[in-house]
Amino acid sequence: MNDLSLTVNGEKISSLVEPRTSLADLLREQMNLTGTHLGCEQGVCGACTILVDGVPVRSCISNATACGGAEVRTIEDFDRDPLMIELRQAFNAHHALQCGFCTPGMLIMARDIVMRLHGADEARIRIELAGNLCRCTGYAGIVKAIRSVIVSRQEALPPRPPASLPLGPAGSGHASAGNALVHVEKNGLATADAQDKPLQVKAAAAPAPLAGKRAPAVKQSFSVAAPQPVVWERFGDVPSMIRCIPGASLVSQEADGTYQIKMRVKMGPIGAEFAGVARQERNDDALTGIIHGSGRDARSASLAEGQLTYRLVDENNGESTRVDIEVSYQLSGALAQFARGGIVTHFIGAITTQFAENLSRSLSSAGTEEEVVEPGELRIAGSFAGALKAWLVDLLRSPFRK
Amino acid sequence: MKPSQFGYARPANVEEAVRLLQEADGSAKVMAGGQSLGPLLNLRLAQPSLIIDITAIRELTLVREEKDAIVYGACVTHASVEDRRVPDATNGFLPSVAAGIAYRAVRNRGTMGGSLAHADPAADWMTTLTALGAEILVAGSAGERRVALDQFMTAPFSVALEDSEFIIGIRIRRYSQAARFGYFKFCRKRGEFAEAMGAVVIDPELGIRRGIIGATDSRPILVPDMDACLRPSGEGIQAAKAMIAAMKIADDPVRDGMHANAFARALKQVAQ
Ligand SMILES: Cc1cc2nc3c(=O)[nH]c(=O)nc-3n(C[C@H](O)[C@H](O)[C@H](O)COP(=O)(O)OP(=O)(O)OC[C@H]3O[C@@H](n4cnc5c(N)ncnc54)[C@H](O)[C@@H]3O)c2cc1C
Ligand code: FES
Ligand code: FES
Repeated sequence: MNDLSLTVNGEKISSLVEPRTSLADLLREQMNLTGTHLGCEQGVCGACTILVDGVPVRSCISNATACGGAEVRTIEDFDRDPLMIELRQAFNAHHALQCGFCTPGMLIMARDIVMRLHGADEARIRIELAGNLCRCTGYAGIVKAIRSVIVSRQEALPPRPPASLPLGPAGSGHASAGNALVHVEKNGLATADAQDKPLQVKAAAAPAPLAGKRAPAVKQSFSVAAPQPVVWERFGDVPSMIRCIPGASLVSQEADGTYQIKMRVKMGPIGAEFAGVARQERNDDALTGIIHGSGRDARSASLAEGQLTYRLVDENNGESTRVDIEVSYQLSGALAQFARGGIVTHFIGAITTQFAENLSRSLSSAGTEEEVVEPGELRIAGSFAGALKAWLVDLLRSPFRK
Repeated sequence: MKPSQFGYARPANVEEAVRLLQEADGSAKVMAGGQSLGPLLNLRLAQPSLIIDITAIRELTLVREEKDAIVYGACVTHASVEDRRVPDATNGFLPSVAAGIAYRAVRNRGTMGGSLAHADPAADWMTTLTALGAEILVAGSAGERRVALDQFMTAPFSVALEDSEFIIGIRIRRYSQAARFGYFKFCRKRGEFAEAMGAVVIDPELGIRRGIIGATDSRPILVPDMDACLRPSGEGIQAAKAMIAAMKIADDPVRDGMHANAFARALKQVAQ
């Protein structure tokens, strides 16, 4: 907890907050200013837009402590604001709201548009409003309302001199450095040690398969410099396959032929740890196999389910083997919002390359325990099954694509 | 309250920030505007033990004018660039790019340094500043260094920074009055991340002809033969489209076509 001072709607307040508190949560939960609405909490919908130091910001993704000392204004503060009175009347006249959920954010943005953009036409207003979603009105009324206020105000309001605004993030220029320094007690914290502890995956049952349409399959082929029967045997040996997958770890082998697996992923700021189950089915005649996998990341409460199909083909008169792989996957939960097919393909490609190298190396030096190399451009720790590998890629999707 | 718990530090200077990063040994995250980190924290996709808020470091919100370049502090926001509150090295190109990033409320907090460090393949600065040949100023336990932006991004959401390092500034050379800039991106909706983007920078006085394809599945791609792309009277545009389609960047006819067309539209903006 740390002591945070702010000016909210003209009043100096001081509050004890946890460092993780957003401006939106501070306003709504601690100050009961529930006019600031929360829709997506990812910066996409605009319902939570408020003014910080005079400019609109997303309160859901603005850290409260980082805005210490700033001047915050919420929709509750505009009862007597002459421009907001005009806007409210115009919203009323033009049917610019139905349920009203988007309206506080719309009004804050509308006021900014009128003040900042002298004489904005309809097209420009639509551009500026693109970050405020309304599920009811179809926008036409909102745009008309704002335009009507712009027209009636055109002469009355001088454009704001932009030079007076600071260059850094709005609201960040006040709190003195250091005095907000807070270290959270170790318990309750996702420390590095905690992540190193094996998960209690024994208890984790295989998540039920997810319904719905599968994402398109990713196909890859690579050659291994070993005869097909050797490669076939290796593919049947799940524990040693796991060793070839960058950082993979096997937790246990179950009596029913399934495997408890663990997978850790780190990519830029994104980290996740999955616990799950894999099983394999093989067809000795066709030299094909399917590895099914499913796992759950407890931290983001997301599920992945998928399968890797492989097929072995003789090459070079039996001296080497071509491996054809096809991966399909499905995600649900927080991570599901981040899937972008192209990046998925890219990463599965990168992982497959590394997997192929590790597999070839381990086959060429039978008996010796080989260091498994992680792909240079990835920082992955732990995983199993191509199906699950697809995860890692989906972690990457940034949260703005729906 | 959505994020998992973290500690919070607000260092006053670069040295202190580096020391905190070093002590945290990879478990800390720098925070600038929080406009990309915030959503990841809210969804618990990022769970750092410590957030190091770098916005109190004064030099990160300063702009330094050098004789042949301008150095923008890492925490200069998109909105500051959009409003021309900072000097412009590019005859208006930087402000026009900034104005097309996300939404105004996001631009009021999102920073240039944060965008480059986040390294979303579809981010606007990554593509356009690569086209401009920008350099990244990095501070870390081994002191300061400069990296060419085209060497900085290593993979989606990954950049060449050590655990103790962070971006302090972005250095962009001053382009001449004769310079021309083109930029086009395909987005489903305004403010959404792009599905394809192209950027072109031509400066006859500096002898620069550079084309970049962005919003790929990973790093920005340099267009190999700009001379062919700049052939007169529509010939160059056709050459560019054919060249890029043949590169099979996404290995998908629709997306490859989008890359080719996005680049062709950027090219048209600089055609004379
Ligand atoms: C709804 C929405 C739509 C968006 N649309 C677009 C868009 O169309 N185009 C686009 O380009 N961007 C878009 N963005 C992203 C936006 O531009 C972000 O502001 C930017 O990517 C990150 O800047 P930030 O200062 O907020 O960084 P933060 O969120 O604070 O940090 C992002 C990452 O970079 C790291 N970091 C930050 N600063 C530094 C530094 N100086 N040195 C080292 N590491 C650092 C952090 O640790 C974190 O991992 C969008 C964002 C939102 C919320
Ligand atoms: S709740 Fe903040 S943008 Fe949706
Ligand atoms: S009025 Fe219902 S969401 Fe806009």
